[in-house]
Amino acid sequence: MRDVIVIGAGGGGPVVAKELAARGLDVLILEAGPRHADPDRDWTHYENDANNPLTGFLRFGPAGREAPAWYRETPQNSFIWQLSGVGGTTQHYFGNCPRAYPGVFQGYDGADRDAYDTDHLFPFGYEELAPYFEWVEATLPVQTAAMGTKEQVFFRGCEGIGLPVQTTKTTTEDSFRPQQNAILQPGGFAGKVTGRDDPRLRYPQATGCTFCGYCMQGCSKPAGAPRNLAAKRSTDNSYVPMALTAPSWAAGGRAAELIADAVVTRIHTTERGGETVADGVTWRVGATGETHREDARVVVLAAGCTESPRLWLNSRLPNPNDWVGRGYTDHFFDWVIGLFDEDTGSTRGAASAARAEFPGRGGMENVGLTPGLQQFAAVFSDSGIRGHYANGRGQEGPWDGAAGRMIGPELKDALMNGVDRLLNILVITDDDVEAQNRVTLSALPADEHGPVPKVAFHQRKRSARTLRNREFVSARAAETLRAAGARKVVRVDWPPLLLHVQSSMRMGASDADSVLDANAEARWVKRLFIADNSALANSLGGPNPTLTSQALATRTAEKIFQTYFGGDPWVHAEAPVVSTDARVTAALT
Amino acid sequence: MSVPSRDLGRRAFLARMGVLGAAAAVPALVAPSATATPSALSPLVGLLRPVLAELSRDTLRGLVVMVCPGPDAYSRAQGTPRAEAGALEARGDDFMIAALDGFVPFPDQLATPLAAALATAVDDIGLPLPTGLLAPLFPPVWTLDRVLLELLENDEALPLSLVVALLLNVVATQVNPLALTGPFLAPFARLSLEQKCRAFELLEGPDAELVALLDAGLPEPLRSSISGLLTFLAGALLEFSAFGSYNEWGVYDASARTVTERPVGWQLSGYQPDGVVDGWADFIGYYQDRTEVQA
Ligand SMILES: Cc1cc2nc3c(=O)[nH]c(=O)nc-3n(C[C@H](O)[C@H](O)[C@H](O)COP(=O)(O)OP(=O)(O)OC[C@H]3O[C@@H](n4cnc5c(N)ncnc54)[C@H](O)[C@@H]3O)c2cc1C
Ligand code: SF4
Repeated sequence: MRDVIVIGAGGGGPVVAKELAARGLDVLILEAGPRHADPDRDWTHYENDANNPLTGFLRFGPAGREAPAWYRETPQNSFIWQLSGVGGTTQHYFGNCPRAYPGVFQGYDGADRDAYDTDHLFPFGYEELAPYFEWVEATLPVQTAAMGTKEQVFFRGCEGIGLPVQTTKTTTEDSFRPQQNAILQPGGFAGKVTGRDDPRLRYPQATGCTFCGYCMQGCSKPAGAPRNLAAKRSTDNSYVPMALTAPSWAAGGRAAELIADAVVTRIHTTERGGETVADGVTWRVGATGETHREDARVVVLAAGCTESPRLWLNSRLPNPNDWVGRGYTDHFFDWVIGLFDEDTGSTRGAASAARAEFPGRGGMENVGLTPGLQQFAAVFSDSGIRGHYANGRGQEGPWDGAAGRMIGPELKDALMNGVDRLLNILVITDDDVEAQNRVTLSALPADEHGPVPKVAFHQRKRSARTLRNREFVSARAAETLRAAGARKVVRVDWPPLLLHVQSSMRMGASDADSVLDANAEARWVKRLFIADNSALANSLGGPNPTLTSQALATRTAEKIFQTYFGGDPWVHAEAPVVSTDARVTAALT
Repeated sequence: MSVPSRDLGRRAFLARMGVLGAAAAVPALVAPSATATPSALSPLVGLLRPVLAELSRDTLRGLVVMVCPGPDAYSRAQGTPRAEAGALEARGDDFMIAALDGFVPFPDQLATPLAAALATAVDDIGLPLPTGLLAPLFPPVWTLDRVLLELLENDEALPLSLVVALLLNVVATQVNPLALTGPFLAPFARLSLEQKCRAFELLEGPDAELVALLDAGLPEPLRSSISGLLTFLAGALLEFSAFGSYNEWGVYDASARTVTERPVGWQLSGYQPDGVVDGWADFIGYYQDRTEVQA
């Protein structure tokens, strides 16, 4: 019998595990994918080797790379970009850590209060979450992003369209700024030397971000750095090392146990005092096919926005209001590419270190990609093929021609202009929670873990506010690129790219349209908490979700400790230990 | 857009008759694991495979040059020849075949009925078997659908690359009936770039007649999932072709974990002029010298 079993070692699960391990609880973390304990051995800096969704070392599939990836049904043009493995999808996230906009919380009373998804607010105020933001920001840690060439170009564009600079963590108006990101600022020779196998680029001569440009391929830089000192603070580099070494840095802490290649196939419940109560899980070992069952006082589901509803449904847990899997938000991204006649440094440095905010509508950020992914992104469209057919869409605006995918000579010439002479802007829409966008179980054949999820998005029938917001931010993105000096601007009109994923098991004030109560405990299954992005009440107004998810997961850990282990909360009373702490390093090595 | 109207309705009817679809698919759905044991293959099947593989390759060549035309005959045929290296030099066709046949976790339970429905369509169009590839021992009257039938009757799961190739070719002949004959093995490879785009328009739409044709081949409960699948597939084929034609796959040595030469995509884009690095000297400073901000 464990105190707590955490399902999934992605963005959220390890946060609960680390916090409760620090309190001395017996925590087991089960992760479906590979351990990736030694990036030097397992990883390379090649985009197909890393990111091929079928075969890459960063993919959604079993630990054994020779086995096929896991199939998920998407009954529309779309792409689910989730990863298995310790660190989950944060293994290749960009580390951007903006806070959710205050307007998406209950009780917000700003002049723009009606501009948000007001039907689906968080069931508490922004001030309630603020200390947890601070706690996570200090733990990861979150810092102001260093500036490279592509940030300079982006800032020039933002200045050009007259946006003011934001100098606070809390966003209050349309503005731009360097990201606040979970990437250690460059130190020593980092960012000052170009090279390969140069001793100056090894730890400790270099510390923090070396500007290597491989965020999407997983961060193990500077070469030779202990795992908890790698520049990018994906959870495999931050929260997981802390959970595993808790006794070394927390008085009374107890090391969490982590088992990878372990797919949970069922959450068990029992009836106790007239209530349904979670009491354990069954998992399957990928390498052997064996199954194990273990009991726990509390179960924390953190398998991600697509897999958490799947596991819920496969475990036949109650779903009386039919909201399990519904209300999935994705920031209905779009993608705008600017071609320049000068160096933009698109492939150098952290993948995205600058952003702009449009509270009430969303935001945007610069993104640099490697050549194959760059072309993938340029072809990923719901608007047909530019100059040939529009697939019923093909919006016009301050970009060149109709929106749509480039093809043939146009596509090739865009890249031949130079992968470092273009700048991409990711359009991040403040999108509404809508019941129609949802996870169900697919009628296609089950895999060895049960029926697979089917993720339906109705991108052409999104709410009027969502669609309006997306057009607004797309236009700002195109104008920004022009103001920065782009010679040609192409809007791609992406179909859903499920990468910023939120709210598919949402918490909410009303039991009519939420799965979790305000403590992130399941309404109909006691002792079952959810601690991944699916627990978020809404799409946060557009800010990248992980920081808010991690702040919420920290709060959830406190609720678990108070409710079921008779403990006191700590965030208001104590100071956090930073994940780069020397005691963590020492315990790892 | 108006599509040259061949009578897809008749094909849909044939498929609905269940000539192939029902027979091939239903047992697989009822007992998925039972199909794991292959029946003894007819010797013919072994001989037919390479023929069909050539058809698939030819079709996929026509596909990958859409996203990265080069100095090859396929790019010329689509009307966009280029001097510098393109998808075929990058081995984009091999990438697609390896991905489709080796790794796409696409259920046979879906692929087989699709193939069956497509075989019916192939029959109706009269898509010829690639000539010159068949050994003399094959009866000259054999047509492509006869070959497919032979495979399906032998309980063969068709390679996904072939299913994709059949789909692209059936749609190609919709767009341009004259593409039934000409250079190359695959009608799709004979199309101009404009015509290929129109083929994708039919897939992505998706075209109602095409949906009817394929849906009819599907057993319940998968009926009516086809239109979503087609829009997904159309997008994925182009996106994956683009990823594969511009990344390092074609020159990657997995055992040495390095590239053996500079990938085509890197040459074209100027990516990493000196190869993989541990860092770049691109740290300019902090915007307005601000290294931290308050709450
Ligand atoms: C390219 C890219 C860039 C991104 N950049 C940013 C960014 O800059 N900032 C930001 O905030 N967000 C970013 N994101 C999003 C970020 O990755 C997610 O917000 C975050 O990872 C979500 O955390 P999660 O815990 O909800 O899910 P995940 O991180 O997906 O973790 C879920 C984990 O559960 C495991 N799992 C699933 N099912 C089971 C099961 N049955 N049993 C056991 N384990 C299971 C999975 O293998 C996985 O490891 C980015 C995403 C991508 C793809
Ligand atoms: S650019 Fe910086 S954060 Fe990104 S992988 Fe390289 S060192 Fe890590």
